[in-house]
Amino acid sequence: SSTDSHIQYERVGADVTMKCGSMDRDATVTWTANGTDIDDSHLNGSYLVLKHVDLTQSGQYSCYEGSSWHLKYQTYLRVGLPPKEPVLMCRSNNYPKGFYCSWHLPSPTYIPNSFNISVIHGTREMICERDILPKNRCHIRYLQLFSTVKYKVTLTVTNALGKNSTTLTFDEFTIVKPDPPESVVAKPVPNNPRRLEVSWQNPSSWPDPESFPLKFFLRYRPLILDQWQHVELSDGTSHTITDAYAGKEYIIQVAAKDNDIGTWSDWSVAVHATPWMEEPKHLTTEAQMTETTSTSTSSFMPPPTTKICDRGARVGSGAVAVCWTAGLVLAAYSVFFI
Amino acid sequence: GDSWGIFAFLCAALCHLPAVPALNGTDELGAGQSIQKTYDLTRYLEHQLRTLAGTYLNYLGPPFNEPDFNPPRLARAERVPSATVDLELWRGLTDNARLAANYRAYSRLLCYLRGLDGQAGTAELRHSLGHFCSSLQGLVVSIAGVMSSLGYPLPAGTATGPPAPAGTPATPNDFLKKMDDFWLLKELQTWLWRSAKDFNRLKKKVPPAVVTLRLEARGI
Repeated sequence: SSTDSHIQYERVGADVTMKCGSMDRDATVTWTANGTDIDDSHLNGSYLVLKHVDLTQSGQYSCYEGSSWHLKYQTYLRVGLPPKEPVLMCRSNNYPKGFYCSWHLPSPTYIPNSFNISVIHGTREMICERDILPKNRCHIRYLQLFSTVKYKVTLTVTNALGKNSTTLTFDEFTIVKPDPPESVVAKPVPNNPRRLEVSWQNPSSWPDPESFPLKFFLRYRPLILDQWQHVELSDGTSHTITDAYAGKEYIIQVAAKDNDIGTWSDWSVAVHATPWMEEPKHLTTEAQMTETTSTSTSSFMPPPTTKICDRGARVGSGAVAVCWTAGLVLAAYSVFFI
Repeated sequence: GDSWGIFAFLCAALCHLPAVPALNGTDELGAGQSIQKTYDLTRYLEHQLRTLAGTYLNYLGPPFNEPDFNPPRLARAERVPSATVDLELWRGLTDNARLAANYRAYSRLLCYLRGLDGQAGTAELRHSLGHFCSSLQGLVVSIAGVMSSLGYPLPAGTATGPPAPAGTPATPNDFLKKMDDFWLLKELQTWLWRSAKDFNRLKKKVPPAVVTLRLEARGI
């Protein structure tokens, strides 16, 4: 244990003896814990003895001279634990720019910890710049690409009661894992009761999709089933599902991976969509009809007619209506001007 | 003793081979399709190498087959061409330079690979090695094809093959020889990863093929 005149750190379960400053061992003193007097049974002369301390005994301990009530000694006791082996993870979600490492302790120590991270690449020591937020994270820029030499990252955690460390060794290629695709949108396709059009964007953290293209994995299932269907797409950021069950609400997710190296991203935020349906004649007790808001408009689309300038019940048909209207207007104008 | 001499001679002879077939055959294919084929070939080889390297490293035995084995590079290993490159430099490579770097690297790697211990392990291992060398030669030829269809000259000097490094005697030390093998496989693996990226970049720069591929995908 270490004794600082202001803060004293002790291990859970330890026996702690506190001296009342320079007072004699047999002097008469009163100890308080957070302002509350401490029972004499914990005293050994003027020493305060706490056996098998636990976390609840953290606090401010003060010692007063018996008769004068002069404050003779004061300390802040912090009961805690030495650190367990930390959990370290390194990942490149912005290949080829660099990578980041983040860490945490598997269980709390209840006292302040400091972390030191070192990155060694071959013979060179690299600086991993600490992020402000999130706290336990640092990032590093690659100086070279396509390296055969592994990176060795060592994280050391230290507190007043001990230290611990862990090391990760990896090749540049193995830690590549993009962030999930962004802005996933799923829309019904007008007049197609078995189709859903899905589109998404590259994760914004991926710096160079031109030279380092991503491939994608789409999974979808109707809410009422557990089995996912999968499609792997090596190109493009959209896909049309053509085998959806008519009238069923679907849940859809997309994941990304560098075309050649690394691992798949986590799944994107899930989106829901229901394929286009003809105007329903009679609603049964299907629960999904009542709950969905964003996709419910699709069930109320008026049946397709030859009339082009509808007020636009939905975004889809509305856009088409605008197109047609604009086309007619342009045609009219061009005739006018020729 | 004279195994190095024989080896150097064989390499010199063998390394003349890739230059010859490259001149014909690939001109009919659009450069774009050649690039796609070469790209596919690097992926296939990378996959093959994973199995082959695992087996060969097991043959070398510990510590070479340990996953965390991370030795420092010895100067002698520098003769194996390295894929490692500064990021901006790599980005700024011209198509010609990019292709030439790949061609040179695989030509030399092929030579070294052929020089791997002729008595290596089981017959099965030797057979896998032989098969891989054939595929790797196919890659060298493919790259040469792309270069010629784009009008680039094949890099000079690769035909001479890797010289037995001056001053380095025939390896009496079994461990050092194994170390060389370890780094050879590592560089080969890294080159195959790099080539996938190199050919991705090249793919983007050959528009007509890209258009063709996209149209095919849309079923037109």
